Amino acid sequence: MDDSTKRILQRLIRRIPSQMLQTILGKWAHLSREDLHSLDFTQPKWVFTEHLLAHCEENGLTVKHITELEMIYIIENPNQGMWHGFQLLDAEEDAPSIELTQFKEQFKANLTELISHVSIKIKKHTDEAIWIRIAWGDNFTKPNHLKPTYVVHHLQTPYVFVTGLTSKHKPLLNQALVLATRYGSMKDAHLSGRNLTAIRDLLMRQYQQVFPTKHPKPLQEKNPVPRNPNIEKEQAENTENRLQMACEAFGDGTLPQLQKAVYKLETKFRDNSNKTLTGREEPFRGVVEFASTNLLESLRHCVSSGMASTPVTPLLSSITQKGRNYFVITDKGV
Amino acid sequence: MLVLIYYPTFVLSPGVLGHLNMLEMEASNLKQQDLRQSSCEEELNATLQALLRKRDQLQVEIKANTSLQKMRSLLDRTGVPCERNEDVDDQEDGSDNSQLLLMMAKHTQLKDLLHAHHLIGGYDVLQTRKGKGVCVSLATAYEGVYLETYNLEIDLGSNLRICRHNIPPFIPLERLVTQGNMQTDIRDFLDTLSQYLNAYAGRKQQLHLTKEIHSSVQVAESNALCTILVLMFTVPGEKAGATLCTLQYADHTQCLPTRVNIQSEDTALASSPQWKKNQALLLETPLHTALVTMKKTGSIA
Repeated sequence: MDDSTKRILQRLIRRIPSQMLQTILGKWAHLSREDLHSLDFTQPKWVFTEHLLAHCEENGLTVKHITELEMIYIIENPNQGMWHGFQLLDAEEDAPSIELTQFKEQFKANLTELISHVSIKIKKHTDEAIWIRIAWGDNFTKPNHLKPTYVVHHLQTPYVFVTGLTSKHKPLLNQALVLATRYGSMKDAHLSGRNLTAIRDLLMRQYQQVFPTKHPKPLQEKNPVPRNPNIEKEQAENTENRLQMACEAFGDGTLPQLQKAVYKLETKFRDNSNKTLTGREEPFRGVVEFASTNLLESLRHCVSSGMASTPVTPLLSSITQKGRNYFVITDKGV
Repeated sequence: MLVLIYYPTFVLSPGVLGHLNMLEMEASNLKQQDLRQSSCEEELNATLQALLRKRDQLQVEIKANTSLQKMRSLLDRTGVPCERNEDVDDQEDGSDNSQLLLMMAKHTQLKDLLHAHHLIGGYDVLQTRKGKGVCVSLATAYEGVYLETYNLEIDLGSNLRICRHNIPPFIPLERLVTQGNMQTDIRDFLDTLSQYLNAYAGRKQQLHLTKEIHSSVQVAESNALCTILVLMFTVPGEKAGATLCTLQYADHTQCLPTRVNIQSEDTALASSPQWKKNQALLLETPLHTALVTMKKTGSIA
């Protein structure tokens, strides 16, 4: 094994948390059960890495096998790094009937045509998602396995999720994906976050949405704060209404975990008390950013507790309804 | 009533002045009593008026309801409203009244129709935002079991516009909206959408039941829309090899496959009469029941 491969393996083992090492290595097909048992997982990591390297060299494992291990780790723990959502547009006639082998062949062929030195690995996960790992090289260098791009796509849906993509390689990936999935073009869905499951759930609407029903049963607050019973009785109907509106705008139960919502303002300044800024022709540029560990949960709580006014402003409810968290607001609208 | 209690001094003082004072007090008490009685009377009068007004209102409502019911039963029976209601009293706004009654009758008829439709598993429509929008809930069911309910919130403007929905992205909703007739014939649009959703729910349920009941059959490949399914069977016998069965559902509005392909290590298997029958069976019966038959005939383990 050459130095670069050793470095890749060392980096990878450093990255995987100690508790997960055993399970991840267990899923790797290139380590036999005896080998796995012989490894001592209680050693400090750098000692463990040396032993693992020795095993890999014995079995003649190459970069290809190490990258498989990395892929297993990323698929098990996708909620790291920054994921961006993209949307495919203008489906052609045969887009709904693309099947896996067709997609795999087309994608590999397209990408290797566009850029010759590239390493592609495609894997179908059990929940019908296709995972693609791409290591980019160029005409003079071999593929760089230290900075791979991961792409997740569900067939027959127009959504693609990408992490680790540089702007240099973006058009290449776009073109390969568009041709392989039989769509016309791909655009930025303006949705990004650290949590892949959250962005996926938001775009594919897999969280629990609330709609008006004929016989609404009152939505229960999951963690009711004990309050003065008399105040509760007075405000019961208002509280219920607010909770219903909050859940209709953001959803019920566990919400997808988004970290940020960014509103870029390009509107004119409007405050008559400030003479210097009002009345200027060019727009007052500003950026409003909402950040939280679980943004949608906080927004829903704001609305249901009355901190934000109801009906919920479309600026906030567009996050869930349009599935985006980056908006540009001009005087004409969002 | 004597008022000895109040001014004992006056009672005790003899003479005309004392007597005059007593008479004065009695007179003022009587006046107070009168006032009290008249205010009681006024109150009772007011209550009486209110009750009379309420009675008149209720009478009008009863009359309106009976004529509405008559109109409605006529509508139900013949589908055509009658020209004039026989006992309409005032002739001037009689025609407006009957128009209004007709509208109300049609409204109640439509509501009952929707409720019945909802009860048999079709879609239901609910008014939202004080009449500016509707929420359509489409129920899906397969083999008598209710599955997911999907919702669409539609904005009622000059053009109908879907503002919110929870329909999964692999159902071609945008295509149905742009290429279909949502603006002109919403019932047709909803029926088509319901077809797609019910077919998807049916295929998904078949796959779910297959996984649950037939644990010996392995699912090698499936996709989110459940239109491609690759199953791996184990064929009993000496030539026990892996047999792959590919089911393709090209028609997304149907629960049955359009193509079944059998591949086996034993090349003669696919063309054997038993497996030809199995292929036909898979094309005509739902997957989980077909597998039961195939197990019974001993084709698969």
